[in-house]
Amino acid sequence: MRPAAFEYHRAASIEEALSLLAEFGEDGRPIAGGQSLVPMMNLRLARPEHLVDINSLELDKIERTGDTLSLGALVRHERYFNEPLIAEHFPAFLDAAHWIGHPTIRRHGSLGGSISHADPSAELPCVCVLHDATIVARSVNGERRIPASEFFISAYVTALEPGEMVVAVELPIPQRKQHGAFIEIAERMGDFAVIGIGAVLELDGDTVLDARIACAGAELTPVRAASAEQFLKGRQLTEEVAQEAGQLFAQSVDPVNDYRSSAEYRRHLIVQLTSRTLMRAMKSKA
Amino acid sequence: MTQTTLTVNGQTRTLEVEPRRLLADIIRTEFDVSGVHIGCAHGVCGCCTVHIDGIPRLSCLTFAVQCDGKEINTVESLGGFDATHVLQQAFKSEHGLQCGYCTPGFLMTLAPYVEKKVANGEMPSDEEIREAISGNICRCTGYHGIVAAVRKAISNQLEGQQA
Ligand SMILES: Cc1cc2nc3c(=O)[nH]c(=O)nc-3n(C[C@H](O)[C@H](O)[C@H](O)COP(=O)(O)OP(=O)(O)OC[C@H]3O[C@@H](n4cnc5c(N)ncnc54)[C@H](O)[C@@H]3O)c2cc1C
Ligand code: FES
Ligand code: FES
Repeated sequence: MRPAAFEYHRAASIEEALSLLAEFGEDGRPIAGGQSLVPMMNLRLARPEHLVDINSLELDKIERTGDTLSLGALVRHERYFNEPLIAEHFPAFLDAAHWIGHPTIRRHGSLGGSISHADPSAELPCVCVLHDATIVARSVNGERRIPASEFFISAYVTALEPGEMVVAVELPIPQRKQHGAFIEIAERMGDFAVIGIGAVLELDGDTVLDARIACAGAELTPVRAASAEQFLKGRQLTEEVAQEAGQLFAQSVDPVNDYRSSAEYRRHLIVQLTSRTLMRAMKSKA
Repeated sequence: MTQTTLTVNGQTRTLEVEPRRLLADIIRTEFDVSGVHIGCAHGVCGCCTVHIDGIPRLSCLTFAVQCDGKEINTVESLGGFDATHVLQQAFKSEHGLQCGYCTPGFLMTLAPYVEKKVANGEMPSDEEIREAISGNICRCTGYHGIVAAVRKAISNQLEGQQA
């Protein structure tokens, strides 16, 4: 199929993009990599009347300021593989990027596009929730800083208002060394995850000082594992403890039942993948 | 309509383009270049892969108006109609194709990949090669011949460098 008619505008500056988006409101949308929007338009699941092309904007910086790493909205997925600051401080983020689609898609798809699209099984929304990221959004009315935990509202629904655009994602750089991992199960390599689990650990030897776990694909938005995270604190991480954490996580979510997988199988995957991801994070220490 | 200048395989033309037209369709209908195949038109098969300023991209997920001033290359630019490119020759000898529908997409995805591996003097594992082609679907070959062709194209050139 082919898209419905629309008007095309290439924005030369952030200000121009914002004023165009303000003018079009509900009828306008930014286009970044087009790797989610264009399929939706070709299938006529989306029919924007105006597209504002933001690809010429200077929003592709990765910058450290103090204890914050700021990732521009136009940072393409493949950038993480060659970014020492990501490898050093956010190993789960780096691990997650490997699971996104295929090389050609990772070369063009952007961070802002992925989180604004808010597919429930996408990796980057999940790692944003995992790392307590802040989403920086702008409109002609100014800037809003939205915690990731409040940004994802439902499947394909975010806290962005019409006319608003993501300009950056900020990740708090951890005070102490963190070990992280991300593992998922998809039907085939590069497909959207049935379940994906990200985990971050602070360890003293084998003892967990702090833990964070998040899951993509279970519910309509990424979910954190509060009870499992609490349970892990102070414990020595062994296969058994990791399994128990997985059980706790699986009990605390209400997985969707859809054509890709039953809720029951998703719950099973949460247990197994939580356990595997925790062990992978710990082993990455060596 | 938006005025758009495109260079396809070295041929530059300025066209009035409706924004909703996909680059894949414009290449096929306005430039009469049929090596761009459209398998799915939503990004999952890789058949429509072309190079935009040298970088592989799905032409079904790209609007022609976005490519104003850009240089686009299709499979025709690789080894011409005689398919003389090393990768094309390796596809032929290793049974990397049967019906050939997917082949232009595979070649355009893989040509820069092979070039980079040769430049770095490295032979990727089969697993890495499969990762490189994970965005391309082939209904005929079962992929073994394609993986073998990539290996052959790289090893031939690496050996050539040593000689
Ligand atoms: C075959 C295939 C497999 C894929 N597999 C995966 C996968 O496994 N995991 C995964 O996560 N993704 C996957 N993707 C999607 C890919 O990661 C996309 O790149 C990403 O979801 C969207 O990024 P984009 O830059 O292409 O956004 P676009 O497609 O340009 O835009 C997506 C949406 O976000 C909006 N938008 C874009 N930028 C902004 C901004 N700065 N501010 C506000 N709104 C904005 C657009 O208006 C649109 O609604 C896959 C895509 C394909 C085609
Ligand atoms: S036609 Fe473009 S990916 Fe299938
Ligand atoms: S050769 Fe027929 S689809 Fe690949």
